[in-house]
Amino acid sequence: MILARHAGALLWTGRYLERAETISRCLSYAADSITGLRADEARAEGELLVRTLGLSDEPGTVVPLESRPQLVAFLLSDRDNPCSMVSSIVAVRENLRSVRDRIPIELWEEANGLYLRFPFLGHDNTPSDLHEVLRMVRRACLAISGVLNEGMRRDEGHAFVVVGRMLERSIFTVGLLEASHSDPRGSLDAGRMLRLTSSLQAYHRQHGSAPDFCGVVRYLLHADDLPRSVFSCLVRAQECLADLASGAEALDRPRRRTALLRSRLEFGDLAEAMVSAPVPALLDFGGELAEVANEVQEGIAPPQTMAALRSQYLRPGATGDRGVLR
Amino acid sequence: MAVVSGYGLGEPVKGLLDGYDASRAYDEVFEPDGSVRGVYTRIVERFRGLGVTELRRLEKLVAEEFRRQGITFTVYSEEEGTERIWPMDLFPRVIAAAEWDELARGLSQRVAALNCFLADFYNGGGEALADGVVPRWLVVSSQGFERNAVGIRVPHNAHCNIAGIDVVRGANGRYRVLEDNLRNPSGISYVVENRAAMAKVCTWLFDDHAVQPTEQYAPMLRATLESMAPDGRDSPHIVVLTPGIFNSAYFEHAFLARSMGVELVEGRDLVVDDHTVYSRTIEGLVRVDVIYRRIDDAFLDPVSFRPDSALGVPGLLGALRAGNVSVCNAMGNGVVDDKAVYPYVPEIIRYYLGEEPIIDNVTTYTMWDPDQRAEALNRLDQLVAKPVGESGGTGVLIGPHASEQELAEARSRIEAEPREWIVQELVQLSTLPAFADDRLESRHLDLRPFILTGETTEVFPGGLTRVAMRRGSLIVNSSKGGGSKDTWVLAHDSP
Repeated sequence: MILARHAGALLWTGRYLERAETISRCLSYAADSITGLRADEARAEGELLVRTLGLSDEPGTVVPLESRPQLVAFLLSDRDNPCSMVSSIVAVRENLRSVRDRIPIELWEEANGLYLRFPFLGHDNTPSDLHEVLRMVRRACLAISGVLNEGMRRDEGHAFVVVGRMLERSIFTVGLLEASHSDPRGSLDAGRMLRLTSSLQAYHRQHGSAPDFCGVVRYLLHADDLPRSVFSCLVRAQECLADLASGAEALDRPRRRTALLRSRLEFGDLAEAMVSAPVPALLDFGGELAEVANEVQEGIAPPQTMAALRSQYLRPGATGDRGVLR
Repeated sequence: MAVVSGYGLGEPVKGLLDGYDASRAYDEVFEPDGSVRGVYTRIVERFRGLGVTELRRLEKLVAEEFRRQGITFTVYSEEEGTERIWPMDLFPRVIAAAEWDELARGLSQRVAALNCFLADFYNGGGEALADGVVPRWLVVSSQGFERNAVGIRVPHNAHCNIAGIDVVRGANGRYRVLEDNLRNPSGISYVVENRAAMAKVCTWLFDDHAVQPTEQYAPMLRATLESMAPDGRDSPHIVVLTPGIFNSAYFEHAFLARSMGVELVEGRDLVVDDHTVYSRTIEGLVRVDVIYRRIDDAFLDPVSFRPDSALGVPGLLGALRAGNVSVCNAMGNGVVDDKAVYPYVPEIIRYYLGEEPIIDNVTTYTMWDPDQRAEALNRLDQLVAKPVGESGGTGVLIGPHASEQELAEARSRIEAEPREWIVQELVQLSTLPAFADDRLESRHLDLRPFILTGETTEVFPGGLTRVAMRRGSLIVNSSKGGGSKDTWVLAHDSP
């Protein structure tokens, strides 16, 4: 049985690990695509990236879009930006550090190694060897995933990491689709979507080398053999939540909502809604995913236990609402 | 003989040990005539074959291993903590089997007597105080005295389950106790990790020796904690309570929890309901039976102790009083950690066990005794003054190394607050080769063995050897630039 605090730390480990990997891909793409563009085009591309990452919704966040180095620094090494790569790497390490007693030693060593190798902790400058750093981060994230999959017991802790990763990944993919549909330039770049989700090669193998926009949207939403599709993510998240909810009743609600979102994909409800109004449909779907993530977080500390805690702080040792005692 | 040139091996040898000065104190490796002590013969031969480059390479490997694993400790400055890689020197310390047996008997005896004293003081009639073995005023004025611990029953009367007793060797080569640590002694994780690193990097060094392993610490500790479970709890739920990831010893807390296969909890993970302690899991509250706490008494329960403590568990004291949980080590052990009580430990051993102490104290002068104070202050430039409430070498004045002004200030502080100081004869800690300035030089060291007490008392073979890495320094604390060594206890003395 896992401590609530440990569950939270592992859930966020999964989310931040996925975020670090996502940002490395986005930065790699942005660094390539912005180079050679006119200033207004580069700014529009930057705005699209910021919208894709959901940063435009963050209250109080001012994203520097005036120059490429500023944008790269904001996403790479700005510790005030919770979505930056440095913040994600630090968060992965700190969360794993707080559960060091229950994770494989190799998992900690990989995360600690990434933290120690990441060269911009405390620095604001854009590195000259940006691609090298991004490649190192992606490889480290893959190594961490490898240890998670092959070296960690399939217990509640593992399930929380998977839930965190799958929800974070599906939120990003839906955000990417929504931002692509909203792009005021109307560019509808299918290749961009595939590259940002590391799905280009897989798509080419299945569907040939000339991706069409609608086909790619369907692929990223529905493909049951693509580990990065929203459908695949929801299937895995639902499976893990089902295991967790068998012991923790408070996680049954996010499990049911996840199943509902999965069925909206499976039975074509989302596709139907997207025919007439793709952006609102995706916004609504993304919002639902974010709510599921919040409910998982809340379910980790069930309300009954919180009530007992509050009573204990007022009258320590007294008999009160005990919550679920086992 | 002051300087070693041929290691007593029959021929002069050029190498890392050339010019090694074994004359400053009792040297663990070399006899006064320059010959190598028996247990070190093969090790000296092995190191003789190494060059500076190779030793540097091995050192780097160890540092990289520790860095990768995050084996660190935190040094606190005034404003913030700095995480440092744990320092380990490659030349191991070796203790012969017979020598260890004698030392272990002495440590076991000392901890048994101190447990008797604690049980008598907190749960018995205070007979030792009534009989004048230790002055009552001294004990009740100790910062470590915890009034709330009076009357709390402790299984097997084992108040101190995990003790770390600092021992040193003086000029005559005999071990003496320098300090008793009965609250939260730390360092055991580094003992185990030092061995693991040595086994990886210097495998060849182990070929010639039967060294007692270090992996058994976790099972020993777990068995000790299980034996402390409240009555009727046959498969006790054990947790390690840590202040959190920013604590200097967090690595050790996580290490112990992981090695024992128990949960590492923070205060916020625990809650008390109906005088019973529970951990907060995703499935609800789960009863906790034994808490191996690594936080100080003052922070354990904000209701009974420091109200601003965010590290403790509200209501824990009530659960303890009700006998529904055991906390290891028990509260209030600080009275015997108090250096002011230390001079009375030999008498405590005689009183409770009817035996002569196997390991002596360092000669100590009590400053509240006017005659002893006068004598000590008169010779302060030859002695060591220690504040009784400090640890980690803080506030220690080493007379021969102090300036006139420092000595004058220390004298006036001692005169002003004699209860707060003890003064000891200077012990020239024994020396052992350590790699410094591209050669092996003699450095002073001490030893902290760990003694576990539950239903029975066991001494873990070996301990943490701390070494002063600056030439001539007697300060071995890692926070003050000290290093460590792998400590070998030989399984048998025959070749």
